[in-house]
Amino acid sequence: MSSIWNNCLSKLENEISDSDFSTWIRPLQAIESNGQIKLLAPNRFVLDWVKEHHFAKIEESIHEFSDGKLDLNLEIGSKKSMPPTTEKPVIAKEAKKASPHFLNYAFTFDNFVEGKSNQLAKAASIQVSENIGKAYNPLLIYGSSGLGKTHLMHAVGNAVLQKKTSAIIVYLHSEKFVQDMVRALQQNSINTFKDYYRGVDVLLIDDIQFFAGKERSQEEFFHTFNTLLEKKHQVVLTCDKYPKEIIGLEDRLKSRFGWGLPVSIEPPDMETRAAILMKKAALANVVLPQEVAFFIAKRIPSNVRDLEGALRRVIANAQFTGREITTEFTKEALHDLISLQDKLVNIDNIQKTVAEYFKIRVADLSCKNRRQSITRPRQIAMCLARELTSHSFPEIGDAFGGRDHTTVMNACKRINELKEADNKVAEDYSNLLRTLSH
Amino acid sequence: MAEQLPLHFEFRANQTFNNFFPGTNQEIVTHLQNCIAGVGEQQIFLWGKSGQGKSHLLQACCRDAQSQNQRSFYFDFSAALPDPIILSGLDNYELVCLDNIEKIAGNPEWEQAFFNFFNQHRDYSHKLIMSSSVAAIEIAIQLADLKTRLNWGLSLKIQVLADTDRIAALIFKADQLGFEISPQVGNFLLTHSDRDLPSLWDLLEKLDRASLVAKRKLTVPFLKQILRETNSC
Repeated sequence: MSSIWNNCLSKLENEISDSDFSTWIRPLQAIESNGQIKLLAPNRFVLDWVKEHHFAKIEESIHEFSDGKLDLNLEIGSKKSMPPTTEKPVIAKEAKKASPHFLNYAFTFDNFVEGKSNQLAKAASIQVSENIGKAYNPLLIYGSSGLGKTHLMHAVGNAVLQKKTSAIIVYLHSEKFVQDMVRALQQNSINTFKDYYRGVDVLLIDDIQFFAGKERSQEEFFHTFNTLLEKKHQVVLTCDKYPKEIIGLEDRLKSRFGWGLPVSIEPPDMETRAAILMKKAALANVVLPQEVAFFIAKRIPSNVRDLEGALRRVIANAQFTGREITTEFTKEALHDLISLQDKLVNIDNIQKTVAEYFKIRVADLSCKNRRQSITRPRQIAMCLARELTSHSFPEIGDAFGGRDHTTVMNACKRINELKEADNKVAEDYSNLLRTLSH
Repeated sequence: MAEQLPLHFEFRANQTFNNFFPGTNQEIVTHLQNCIAGVGEQQIFLWGKSGQGKSHLLQACCRDAQSQNQRSFYFDFSAALPDPIILSGLDNYELVCLDNIEKIAGNPEWEQAFFNFFNQHRDYSHKLIMSSSVAAIEIAIQLADLKTRLNWGLSLKIQVLADTDRIAALIFKADQLGFEISPQVGNFLLTHSDRDLPSLWDLLEKLDRASLVAKRKLTVPFLKQILRETNSC
């Protein structure tokens, strides 16, 4: 960094509030050459703000420390040749400079924890990586946020790359595709854009639901998609829902996304959640006792990112305090998080959510009615209360009209059996679990 | 005799880790410093009641990053939401600190822009530190993909200081300002004025000026006199 600019920074930080200094001054990057000091702002907004509010002070400092020899010039830009910003033209070659495939090498099939909720998606992904363009094309993995769709997608890319290092693989988020296309249109380089995306061996596009409502991008993606499929190149897509449910997505795209194999990923069951935690701990070289993994898995019933966040908290706290990771320690480390979970998910709101879902009254869940249209939701609510809260069987029984604890135990057993045997019950349970966990 | 007027000099203490009184929040300071040094977490979510020093810590992070030749950017959303274009180009920055991030909740344009920024910034393995007055799980973010991402990193709650720590913090802060107060004075301040830290810091600065004018040490009787005079104004 320019020593003159360093001196200016030292002066300015005593003249401008800390907050303003950290937002508008420190982020500027200085280049000194040819009798001028060029300050680069990350974007137009920062540039305009600095010009309007701080230009005079900066200029005065520069003149002071350069004995009036340097002029000030403000521009948008970045000093290092870093990957794309919206201010710069970028596709293909520039993007490749930053990271050849934008793949996260840490996401492999080996460290993807398989459970009932995701085994089909994993098997299909492996098939695809072993038979590019032949097995299932496109492969569409769909499910709620934070369940491992992106992990599988990167794993496909990494597995292909391992076998064929020269394979042209591109991973990107759908929004990035849109941004690149808009930029290409602005810069009259749409043909380069088309050639780039239509020339890859494997195209991995994450979160295609963000194409919704973007007609021009859908049009371009439609043609890219067709070209790749015609050439028998592989396309892998992820989505937060089944594509037919996306509002604002053209029918022809919805139909094409269904050509290959759409596979869903469901929220992981408790055993899978515990296995995920143990795997992630092992990757961080931390031994996580099984009972602790189950404790966290029970208290964090939602998605893998939440699990990972909780695990990070436990590991960070253990490293700071030097204490051994036990269940007691974990309870303390996650105290705040668990209290919040309890506040957000309790028997009352489980009953309310279940009643709304099945369109019955909350009072029906506690009454003596034995019609199946009431008993099934009641059993599901009891099972959810057992899974999502720390209440005991007797406490749950009390909350459901003073029922005996054995009734709750039987309800949990019955629902767990039905989840295996009856798709409708499995789907209802999964939907409710997702609603209550977010 | 005319009273001595203190030279008009506004003491501007820059927000650093050194002038942050950690009390029970030492763990947070350690994780933030490790993050900046590249030996800790890539994403930290700092939450807790306002007035506990979250903004101070975020700005201290930016200062630390600068001393390690890292580009950093800080923005506080508490006043207003700017045009989301302010995020463009920041994926290149090694450290981005976003204060009061909960303010973007419910604004679809901002949620989407932040989601895009988040993914790109993370792809480059750059560091992101966010602060909020509530836990990530409680923020009413509508975009589910963004909501799960807020919980991904290390989440740390800044603890409210106990009274004994507040007294220690007052003594520490007075020392930073260049004068001394006794624990008795600290205790008196806690029981006779607003107990939130920003109000206490303001009061300390006023007392410093008053003691300079009167050329008296800050003792409990002198404090009583100043507060009496202030209240009668």
